[in-house]
Amino acid sequence: MLDYKVKFWDEILPRVQKPTRYLGNEVNAVAKDLSRCSLKAVLAFPDLYEVGMSHLGLKILYSLINDHEQWAAERVFMPDTDLEAILQNEAFPLCSLETVTPLAAFDLLGFTLQYELSYATILQMLRLGGITLLALSRGEEEPLVVGGGPGAFNPEPLAHFFDFFMLGDAEETLPQVLSFLEQNKHLSRADKLFSLSRIAGVYVPSLYMPDFDQHGNLLGIRPLDANLPRQVKRAVVADLDAAAYPVKFVVPYGSIVHDRLVLELFRGCTRGCRFCQAGIIYRPLRERTPVKLKALAKELVRTSGYDELALSSLSSGDYSAIGQLVTELGLELAKEGVALSLPSLRLDSFSGELAEQVKQVRKSGLTFAPEAGTQRLRDVINKNISEADLISAVTDAFAAGWTGIKLYFMIGLPTETDEDLEGIVDLVRKVMAAYRQAGCRGKPRVTVSVSVFIPKAHTPFQWAGLIRRDEILRRQNILRQSLRAAGAQFKWHGVEPSLLEAALARGGRELNAVIARAAELGCKLDGWDEHFSFENWQQAFRENGLEMAEMATRQYDLDDPLPWDHLDSGVTKTFLKKEYKLALAAKVSEDCRENCLGCGMSLLLEGKNGKDGKGACQNARLD
Amino acid sequence: MRVWIKFAKESPMRFLSHLDLMRVWQRAIRRACLPVAYTAGFNRHPKISFASALAVGVTSEGEYLDIQFTERLDGAAFERLDETLPHGLKMLAWRQVPESTPALMSLVCAAQWELPLQVDESRCVQEAVQKLLAASSLTVERESKKGRKTVDIRPLIYSLAVDEKASCLSMLLASGGESVVRPGEVLKLLCLPSVLGRLHRIELYLASGGSFREPMAVLLN
Repeated sequence: MLDYKVKFWDEILPRVQKPTRYLGNEVNAVAKDLSRCSLKAVLAFPDLYEVGMSHLGLKILYSLINDHEQWAAERVFMPDTDLEAILQNEAFPLCSLETVTPLAAFDLLGFTLQYELSYATILQMLRLGGITLLALSRGEEEPLVVGGGPGAFNPEPLAHFFDFFMLGDAEETLPQVLSFLEQNKHLSRADKLFSLSRIAGVYVPSLYMPDFDQHGNLLGIRPLDANLPRQVKRAVVADLDAAAYPVKFVVPYGSIVHDRLVLELFRGCTRGCRFCQAGIIYRPLRERTPVKLKALAKELVRTSGYDELALSSLSSGDYSAIGQLVTELGLELAKEGVALSLPSLRLDSFSGELAEQVKQVRKSGLTFAPEAGTQRLRDVINKNISEADLISAVTDAFAAGWTGIKLYFMIGLPTETDEDLEGIVDLVRKVMAAYRQAGCRGKPRVTVSVSVFIPKAHTPFQWAGLIRRDEILRRQNILRQSLRAAGAQFKWHGVEPSLLEAALARGGRELNAVIARAAELGCKLDGWDEHFSFENWQQAFRENGLEMAEMATRQYDLDDPLPWDHLDSGVTKTFLKKEYKLALAAKVSEDCRENCLGCGMSLLLEGKNGKDGKGACQNARLD
Repeated sequence: MRVWIKFAKESPMRFLSHLDLMRVWQRAIRRACLPVAYTAGFNRHPKISFASALAVGVTSEGEYLDIQFTERLDGAAFERLDETLPHGLKMLAWRQVPESTPALMSLVCAAQWELPLQVDESRCVQEAVQKLLAASSLTVERESKKGRKTVDIRPLIYSLAVDEKASCLSMLLASGGESVVRPGEVLKLLCLPSVLGRLHRIELYLASGGSFREPMAVLLN
């Protein structure tokens, strides 16, 4: 392996633009002697270093594996175009950062599936690593390729390239998988995979087969063996306090996207926004205790030398003891010159008091997400926030000294009309007026960021389609004109990447050929404007007899079999249907912390006990 | 307490930019729990500065930091700092300097450089060096924000020699304020253009009583 390292460091790195991305000997990086490890995994993030290194999940798994003396985890990211060209032209394989070992020399290659626009990049990394693209054609010596993260909840578009997927909290599944592989090296790939499929949370796509009717409509995806579960269940960590947390963050040399420490307050969310996939697939709500969080924060600062720590979760204002935690932690960290930041605040939890606390620790930008412009549409999506909440939150923020605010909205939500677009503009006007009411002079900087709603699997909106391309453009135009007139800055998402994301998010196995062709045509890093090629993707769809726009805008009937029905997020389809119908009737559902809505999570959690000895989902009941 | 630290920047750390290197030191100082002083004002930053910037790709055993701490520190503190540095950065020495000492950066006036030569290069480089030293002036063009200008670097080349035994080129070049020669400029004149990756900085010098002294040895009061 030494040869690779010497050649890579001495001959290749001096020729690339940002060598520190590929150096890999950052502080807290773990480079073990691989020849003495009984299990070698490489964790891949299918994007550039700066993006991948900002991801908490990667840090969690990296430390979880490396904390085991006999196991090694290394990292690999997608190289930028300069290094990619060198690797390709000089037939130098894509290697891990830590020991500069070719990907093919590992036992396990794990990709995180964070967003659909990274799927072609996965194939590029496999190709650069010299790994056979099709899982069923891989040799016995090649690594097992596994995927996890949100994308694993509809993994069918990638089913041919992955040996298996892990659904849910990998802290739960991964140690079982690794122990099994460590002890069963003699087994064939097929035998390993069959055994792995018995572990909760593991889905082996080659053991499941889609059935179609004579028109080519999906009838369902069924297991090939009677001993396999009809539905693969998601794995859940019951007690987050007891779960592993990385206390030694790898400290990059260059600056990365989120260049700070991250402390996860809790997992899950009880708000039940109907568009939100994370709100479903991370259920139930599991909090870390303030004592644990404070201890973790102290250690994180000491081991990394960072001067900023962000509290992270899906909705940090919902943490039970948020006020106390921010005050106490803020004070402790301030003593060491470390700033505390608090992204992901719901605006109804942003009271005057919390505004003051957040301001004391750091006056960074403030972002609120009303998501929709009218109360009717906010009721449709179950974003239980009122105009009064928003105005009171921004007034508090302005009074506390903020002069700029960012607002997030979506267009294309089910049932949206032009009235809802006018509602956005109206709301923005009121926010600007609140600035003067708060006693401030001049005008605030209001940035309005509007994305296109993309329906995702396992949500109440999974049956809905993306709105049509011309409709997206028309609605964006309306907003562009009126928001500029209102004096706000308008930011929007491109229509073409949205079409692709929507087509990949709810498609089935037919997409494997499309993604493979797109990769052949050179598609990669599609989340970056400078790399995204709509034409190449269009071509890849068409050559396979598919239309991207058609797939993106496709509406499913409530009774249609869905390509992800064989995967169990813990939330029942019955519940999702009920929520969808409520949405179409513009009826809200309660926060399930107040009153259990019977989503089905308690079934998945049976036999699992949280730290107080009860099921992790409190007050659960079933319909 | 004001301190000068001498350190080495070896491969693989040679790929760090000036900005990256500053961040690495700031974080290392924080990990070692050393009480660094901060500037006053709205945008506070730690009082740490380098003696002289080093181009990306170049290694060195003569780099210096000038740091202001809020407390007195002992040797153990600096051992802690050395231990927490990433592989490829190494502390070589430290000394306390009087609070009133001007910034180290403003005192540096020369730098010693070394370039290992391949066996077949030695002879022709030797000849080129002789030619260069015989010249009464050597003008190079430099581009700055204000436009192009020509500079005579001959008087700023203090010494230039090929050590045939060690098979390396060694250069003592002016390096401070306006009077600076970039090693690349000399290498270009010697027709050795693309060898920056082999370049190594040996030492920085301060002027003291008419001669050059190393920062760790110079007398300060």
